[in-house]
Amino acid sequence: MDFALSNDHVFLQDSAAKFVNEQVDLSPLLRPGADVSHAGYDRLWSQISELGWSAITVPEAYGGLGMSYIDLIMIIGETGRTLAPSPLFGTLAGAWAMQAAGSDRQKSEWLPKLSDGLKLALAMANENGSYDSTAPDVVAEPAKEGFKLKGAKSFVVDAASADAIVVSAMLDGRKDFFIVNSGAPGLDVEILEWRDITRQVCKITLSDVNAERLEESNDQVWPWVRDRLYLVLAAESAAGIKAVLDDAVDYAKERIAFGRPIGAFQAIKHQLANIAGVSEAAAALVQYAAWALSENDQRASLAAAMAQSYASEQYKQATHRNIQIFGAIGFTWEMKNHLYYKRARCNAELLGSPASQREQVVRILEHEAA
Amino acid sequence: MDFNLPGEDDPRRIKVQQWFENNPNPTYAQLAEQGWTAPNWPAPWGVGADAEMQWIIDQEILRTGLELPYTINAIGLNQCGQSLLTYGTEAQRKKFLPGALACEEIWCMLFSEPSGGSDLGALRTTARREGDHYIVNGHKIWTSAADHAAVGVLVARTDPEKPKHKGLSMFLIDMNSPGITVNPIVDMTGEKNEYNEVFLDNVKVPADALLGREGEGWKIAMEQLQTERVGMTKPGVVWGMGPTARDLMDGLIATGRISDPLIRDEAAKAYVEGEILRLLTYRNMTNRINGKPAGFEGSAGKMLSSPHGQRMADLAKRSQGVAGMIRDPDVLPLPDKKWGMFSDWDYAYWFCPANTLGVGTQEVLLNVVAERVLGLPRDPDPTAKLPFFETTKTTARAAE
Ligand SMILES: Cc1cc2nc3c(=O)[nH]c(=O)nc-3n(C[C@H](O)[C@H](O)[C@H](O)COP(=O)(O)OP(=O)(O)OC[C@H]3O[C@@H](n4cnc5c(N)ncnc54)[C@H](O)[C@@H]3O)c2cc1C
Repeated sequence: MDFALSNDHVFLQDSAAKFVNEQVDLSPLLRPGADVSHAGYDRLWSQISELGWSAITVPEAYGGLGMSYIDLIMIIGETGRTLAPSPLFGTLAGAWAMQAAGSDRQKSEWLPKLSDGLKLALAMANENGSYDSTAPDVVAEPAKEGFKLKGAKSFVVDAASADAIVVSAMLDGRKDFFIVNSGAPGLDVEILEWRDITRQVCKITLSDVNAERLEESNDQVWPWVRDRLYLVLAAESAAGIKAVLDDAVDYAKERIAFGRPIGAFQAIKHQLANIAGVSEAAAALVQYAAWALSENDQRASLAAAMAQSYASEQYKQATHRNIQIFGAIGFTWEMKNHLYYKRARCNAELLGSPASQREQVVRILEHEAA
Repeated sequence: MDFNLPGEDDPRRIKVQQWFENNPNPTYAQLAEQGWTAPNWPAPWGVGADAEMQWIIDQEILRTGLELPYTINAIGLNQCGQSLLTYGTEAQRKKFLPGALACEEIWCMLFSEPSGGSDLGALRTTARREGDHYIVNGHKIWTSAADHAAVGVLVARTDPEKPKHKGLSMFLIDMNSPGITVNPIVDMTGEKNEYNEVFLDNVKVPADALLGREGEGWKIAMEQLQTERVGMTKPGVVWGMGPTARDLMDGLIATGRISDPLIRDEAAKAYVEGEILRLLTYRNMTNRINGKPAGFEGSAGKMLSSPHGQRMADLAKRSQGVAGMIRDPDVLPLPDKKWGMFSDWDYAYWFCPANTLGVGTQEVLLNVVAERVLGLPRDPDPTAKLPFFETTKTTARAAE
């Protein structure tokens, strides 16, 4: 038993913190009408990919850094804490899908490009936000060369900026994975008015778009990728809880009412103490899930679902408390409180609700008991 | 980072198992001879076990069907005994620890009084020095185990001229001393007596029963409460003891009640919370192995675990429907093992309102976390700086 971060982990976290503290600036978003493109979405990317973050868990054989998921959350904790806008989420998702579904040749072709700044996205959910593996939202048909895809997907993170998109599509009654070039004729990408303006989320429509099938596609690809995406969202959420806690604590020490700092009132103190407890709890679950995924532990899926359900739900609570503690100023567009409030809510829906992850938890336990 | 616990083939475990094979049905006294009733204490009392070794020893004790020593003699082995290692004299250790470690002398904690428990610093029991004795007078209440305890850990006021927290001292008293009367109090479960009130009427306490120095009582008491809270972070239903959310989930699955949608989602929530407490316990273990002091984890852990236990007990009860409102009809199965006091959901359910009262109420704990961890302003206490005897006058006046 060793529930402590190594010096290497702490070092990685510190250097990531230094980078985001210097480079992330959310102030352009604090004017109505702004979107990710105003807040360094592209500028940050060149540096992030240079740091190797998008390939951090990609095996060295494919040009990645071959590091663990614990290393990954050191970084995601920092991008999540600062809401750093960049296509990191989409690229991680696309790269994991490639890692799980691609053949050796395909992985060797695509994954090494990550270090040159390749941007990817993964299109899984349909327009209802369902990840149902039997829905024929996109259908693949054999063509002269490769396949043609037809249909629509939504809630595709970072699709508009991606160089290529991995798309799940129906072929012979099962969902396989295909890769589509962003410039391919017939591909239409629409940026959605996603409420979390620190993230780019899109709908894609495919009208007979040329696609290459990922040759190792199978029904375990999505659960494998999903567990990793749970980890990413949970790590963002846990770090976000800490961020809004710290902001609210600072504010509670400064803001005076009735002759005392508002942090002297128990109604405020107790809310903050509760969030402090939740913050510890979420961080512990995230680290456990990262360890379990790194070790391929038999409870890895369980750990990932627990972390995502808890952290995202508690993030919603904490960001709401945060606005309450700030008072009316916290309800303005010019403060960043709402950015966290919105990130929290969007994180709790993007891959299905916390309740749906809890359903996964129960199913895994029922399966273990049987 | 590594969340694996020592396995079955761990050489440390095999050694412990060998001893149990050679000594079937051991007494606690025999376990104490091995240093296994408080393994983390240094020799000769314990074996200076790190957190993993302690975990192994606990596991093996449970396997023999025995209750864990520190649930039988919680105050002696968990909360207070360790203070003797830091503050006690060698003579005190020799006098008090062997009986505690063998679980032959049960200890109790004489802190709370009728006039207040949260505001412990305002306690009124006095200990007046007379020659080589102190004379103790006062009234303690909510004292768990006082009816069968041999040793009482007493906080009393030795100097009423000093401000409330500064005039307190700690004593280890013989519960059979003349002048001590123990009256059981029936708690709301109506089950076997949990706590008592204790009258101290001119009790003669030898001067060498003072632990540490005069005036150190508050400091030592706070350390003891902190130690106690770390222990309570565990995922059991009441103060870390008894069945956990894993057991609840097993029971709900085994009985098919898990398919009730009104139970299902909440059971998952409780399960996740239980796993969090398990992880926080592991973090405590790691901190101890790495020699880091128990800080935030203790208070935060209890802050999370007390309401968790209440939610879990409520769910266990609700899953049984109206039948659960009859005494003792537990239908949810529990694994066959020695749980100590909390051996069924029914008792845990009717007991668990105490979760957020004992060892610091939830409100007081939230204050501790807000003030000590987050650095928020302290609650005002108009009595904190005054000589204690003046504060009793003010409160008396306020009450008029
Ligand atoms: C089952 C059980 C076993 C116990 N065993 C022992 C034992 O062995 N030895 C022992 O000494 N004591 C024991 N206690 C007593 C326990 O420590 C006290 O009950 C506790 O400290 C609270 O004190 P009180 O009951 O006097 O409540 P009070 O202090 O009168 O509190 C009443 C209410 O006021 C709230 N309150 C008080 N101060 C504040 C504040 N500053 N801010 C906000 N709210 C506040 C409390 O949270 C509570 O809700 C036990 C209690 C229980 C329930």
